[in-house]
Order: sequence, then structure tokens, then C-alpha cells
Amino acid sequence: MSDRLTLEELAVLMKTAGITVDPAEMARRPDSAFEEYGLDSLGLLRIVGELENRRGRALPTHADRCKTPGEFLDLVNNSLMTGA
Amino acid sequence: MTSRTVITGIGVIAPNGVGAAAFWKATQSGLSVLDRVTRAGCEHLPLRVAGEVRGFDPGAMVEDRFLVQTDRFTHHALAAADLALEDARLGRADYEGDPFSVGVVTAAGSGGGEFGQRELQHLWEQGPRFVGPYQSIAWFYAASTGQISIRRGLKGPCGVVCSDEAGGLDAFAHAVRAIRQGSRAMLVGATEAPLAPYSIVCQLGYEGLSTSDDPERAYRPFTDKACGFVPAEGGAMFVVEDEEEAGRRGATVRAVLAGHAATFTGTQRRDASGEGLAHAIRGALREADCAPEEIDVVFADALGTAEADAAEAAALTAALGAYGRKVPVTAPKSGTGRAYCAAPALDTAAAVLALEHDVVPPTPNVYDVCHDLDVVTGSARPAELRTALVLSRGQMGSNSALVLRKGASATA
Repeated sequence: MSDRLTLEELAVLMKTAGITVDPAEMARRPDSAFEEYGLDSLGLLRIVGELENRRGRALPTHADRCKTPGEFLDLVNNSLMTGA
Repeated sequence: MTSRTVITGIGVIAPNGVGAAAFWKATQSGLSVLDRVTRAGCEHLPLRVAGEVRGFDPGAMVEDRFLVQTDRFTHHALAAADLALEDARLGRADYEGDPFSVGVVTAAGSGGGEFGQRELQHLWEQGPRFVGPYQSIAWFYAASTGQISIRRGLKGPCGVVCSDEAGGLDAFAHAVRAIRQGSRAMLVGATEAPLAPYSIVCQLGYEGLSTSDDPERAYRPFTDKACGFVPAEGGAMFVVEDEEEAGRRGATVRAVLAGHAATFTGTQRRDASGEGLAHAIRGALREADCAPEEIDVVFADALGTAEADAAEAAALTAALGAYGRKVPVTAPKSGTGRAYCAAPALDTAAAVLALEHDVVPPTPNVYDVCHDLDVVTGSARPAELRTALVLSRGQMGSNSALVLRKGASATA
């Protein structure tokens, strides 16, 4: 599906939280914690809000509790595909 | 004897310069940088002249992840804190073994108005889903203290003083208390950013606000042309520490925080502010064990209305006796504007630099003084300076006085 979240788009979203990260870096280490990239919980909350506005639909309520980019991508894309 | 608390680092972000050296060069030259308001969205407002900080690029000093979640007033604070720590040569390695030994206290007059306005505009134009989560922290008065603490890993006593403009001096008293209670060092000071549309509208009700459109005439305290004050942004942060602790790590003592006192005389009571200010001066002198004649220079509050200036002149003679008419008085803020809580912080920076250079900086744009005071005008006045008195009053009735002693005497 075209509205799947990619690491490239996640990197763009992380920029809105002031974090500059290479998507290739996240692809190499999908299980590194957001914290290691300097992203805190408010920053992830911002990314969730931004993404919800972009897609025009709500994400699961626990989306802002994901610890890693890999976990976040799985959760978001499963949710988008199932329409949950 | 209780040990003394000393200033070992100064960081300045001011309309007339970034960094203490540039600030002092402009301050002692008497340069006025007051100018027309140019900030976006302010063109149509009746405030015409202000002291804008133009020579500061937040992105050059503060990481993006802190910039996106903070208001301009916190950008000023983070940068000024860096400069102060650098000046004091106090690095993370000095305290990471005991992060609880260093704390932060700032004063704030209105918090992050520009950030708040932007988010409220999102709310109004697009709806609640478009208000970002950083709104929950960025507008808040305590934002600068919190962000400095987080960014620098400082876990000691942290607080924010919200006691009106004079809080910029009261913050020093809080820092001194923290040092006496065992903290090794404190970051202390105040920064503001009140030059955005919403913030300016909030100030339009201040009866002392100057709406003159002439930068050379908008803020002339102590003259019969006084027509109020010009607001400004920026501020200063300081590293203060216990004198012995500073000595142990080889830090240079720039000045001694010798005495402070504060009073409150109510809103819109310019006449009563004189008595309150006099009481604060007496209290600060008492704590500093300082006789009136020992004061070598006064950094005045200089609100710039006839009534407020008269009250300040009366306070000086009430507290210092006849010497109050002889002591050199200066108000460098007539050349930079009045940055609310940050105004007395900038005055404290100027006072420390004046003590170091034995020079009283002049009061820009002020020529014919109509009060019985020795206001230093025109150019800087060389003088042997050992003790300085910094005064501040708030729009809402707070009055504070701070006595500073020369740093060199600290090591004598």
C-alpha cells in the first residue's frame, strides 16, 4: 500500500522532533532504541500526531510507547493494513 | 563566618552583543541599539521601538532537538548558560561524578509567548490535532530551568522565580541559599523574549510602556522628556559557587554576591515603589555589611516615567542619605531596552564588568537629568569601583536590591 510508513518517511518525521538520522542507519539497526537517536517520549508523541494528520486516521493508542523504529514501523503498518 | 558566594562565569545574549566581551564593549561605549520593531507580525502594533537581539543564531549554539521544543526565551537561556559555563570553565567532567551538586534557577516574566501563540494559531486554524506536544512544556515559565538542567545533566536544586521583573535579582538570592545549603555551583539568571505579537499585546496595558516611534527619544529615564520604557529581549546567565570551592578548582572570582533584599508594594503604585525600594536597599546593605558610602555605583531600575523615576531618586536618598545624591548612577538599559526579568540580570552582568574595568558605563540617550542624582551620561566615567548596587522594580510591584563586591577583593 502506498501509505505504508517507510524508514525514509520516519526520518523526515523525526526531523520535526529535531532529530537528524539517516534512514539507512535505522535500516541497519531497526532494534536500536529511539532514545539512542536522541528522541524522547514527547518527540515520539509529536511524530505520532504528525503521522495521524498526514494519514487522516488515528493510530493505536500505544503507538507513542514504541521503543524502536522497527517496532514503530511494524505497529503502524499493521494498523494501516488492517484498518484497525 | 558564613562563606561567600561568588560569580565565576557570565553568559550574555543582549541586544547590544552576544557574549560578555561584546556586551561590555557596547555598554561602556554608550551605544544605543534601540530600533524599530522588525519581528514578523508586529508591524501594525502600537509598540514601535524595542531592543531586539539580532546578532544571535540559535542554531549555531543549540541542538535542533532542543530548539524545536523550546521558545525563543529558552533559546536565549540555553545559549547564555553555555557561555556562562564556558566562562567559568565548569564542564560536565567537573560535576558528572556528583550531578546533584549543581542546580539551576532562572527568573521569568512571561514564559514562551511566541511558541504558545504559534500553537494556539494551529488550534484555531486547524484544530486540536495540530497542536504539538511541545506546547505542554515550551510556554511554561520553568521551561528554561528545566531544559538547561536536562541538556547539561544538572540535578541539583532547580527552580524558577516568578516574582515579577525584580525576580531577576531574587534568583541570585535563591542561588546563594542553594550554595549555603551545600550545592557546589548554581547556574542562575534570566532571559526573556517578549517581542512577538501576542506577547506585545499583553504589554500594551503597561502604563509605562513607551509607544514613541523615535529610537533616540523613546526611553529617556530621569529626564523631563521621560515617556516610559522600551521593552527588550535577551538576558544573562551566571555560574555562581562557593568561594572556597571556586578557589579549590582554580576558578577566577569575577564578583562577590554580598547582599540582597526584596519588598513588594503593589501594582500600579509607582509612588509606593520608592519606599519599598529604599527598604530593599537597606536590607541588601545590611546583609552585605556595607555602609552607604561604600557603594561606588548604582545600576538604576530607571523605569522612565516621571513618577517612577522620582520614586527611585527618593529611594536612593532615603536609603543612602545625602550620599544618594552623590553616588554615580547609571542605567545602560536606556540603550538596550528593558528585558523584564532579564533586565536586572543584564544590569548585574554590566555591574560585574564595571567593577572589573573600574569604569561606570553611561546612560544612552539621556542628557538633561531632572532629578537630584549624579546620573552618568554621555561617555563612560573611570572610577575606582569596589562595590556596586543593582536595583530592579517590577510592573506589578516587586522591588529588589543586590550588592556586588569586586572579585579581586575576594582573593585578597
